[in-house]
Amino acid sequence: MIILANGKTNQVARRTDSDGALWVRMDELPNATGWQMKPEGACLGDLCVPLPANKREEWIADADDWVWFCYSEFADMMGQKYVRDGDVWSLGPVPAVRSVGLESAIAPDFEVTERNGDTLRLSDLRGRKVVLFTWSSW
Amino acid sequence: MGKWFDRASPTYRCVIDPTHQISSLFGWVSVPSAVWIDEEGRIVRSNEGTYPAPMTIGFGLGKVRVGDHAFARATRDWIERGAESEHVWSRSELAERLKPVDDDTRLAEATFRLALHFEAVGDSERAWRHFTATQQLAPDNWNYLRQGWTHKGTIYASLKVLARTSYLRKNTDTSYYDPMGLPGENNRRYIEPDWLWTPAVRRIKQLLRR
Repeated sequence: MIILANGKTNQVARRTDSDGALWVRMDELPNATGWQMKPEGACLGDLCVPLPANKREEWIADADDWVWFCYSEFADMMGQKYVRDGDVWSLGPVPAVRSVGLESAIAPDFEVTERNGDTLRLSDLRGRKVVLFTWSSW
Repeated sequence: MGKWFDRASPTYRCVIDPTHQISSLFGWVSVPSAVWIDEEGRIVRSNEGTYPAPMTIGFGLGKVRVGDHAFARATRDWIERGAESEHVWSRSELAERLKPVDDDTRLAEATFRLALHFEAVGDSERAWRHFTATQQLAPDNWNYLRQGWTHKGTIYASLKVLARTSYLRKNTDTSYYDPMGLPGENNRRYIEPDWLWTPAVRRIKQLLRR
């Protein structure tokens, strides 16, 4: 199964009895979606969202000798849009993350690969003025 | 695209963003677009149609004239004067312009990524289906329109751009780019082939309208 998220393509395991929902193995959750489970809830960077107490047992389950997280249910709760075609799931932006950026006007961070192969994170340029300019060849 | 970077030997940092991740993050729907970010990482201005200078694109009958000096002039002013620049947006302007996106736009983003994935793995039929769905969800996003049309070839895409701009020019009050609101900007509403603006062609069009 493939998950497209945050500009990356992630090959992940598929729960055999997934029944139409997107179940992600807990150890693959951070790479595949950006979220990781912590004692305070599901966290994406500085944003942590407690899981509803009545959903914990429903969304976190043992199957195929692993612990799985029902990501599609969680995404529905967060208002994150996703679309599926066969074994490929594509995740849209997380509204809560975007709204944090809108309130503070802090530029959303991203990570891309430069022509020379180096990784560029926007946040690495803090302390300098940045003009970010996009173009396309179409 | 990479070979152009290499031949130009730019002094600034260049990245290729094949999934339009950056445009999505900043809510841009066309190119060129640009944002100014201050030393603390805050957005202080973001626009589309940010050509760095007047220029021509294409050749022959497809040659178009675009751009002006307005954005480059304003950018130099901001770099020199920082927050004192008159071109820096106020907090109320930022709040007005950096609005949250709606459900359809967020679903379009996910669908677009799906289309790019199937295009990359050579599944043209599914790619086209998802490009089309993306365009229906976000019909004003030129990035999605042009990238989707390009899946059918650059000639097809160019003809679709011409047809759509012609339709919008005749039937709506919109512009290809949102005006930047900078002094001296070129406010031509749509990019059209340069030959359409020659005096002879304009005269013929006037005669045909009679």
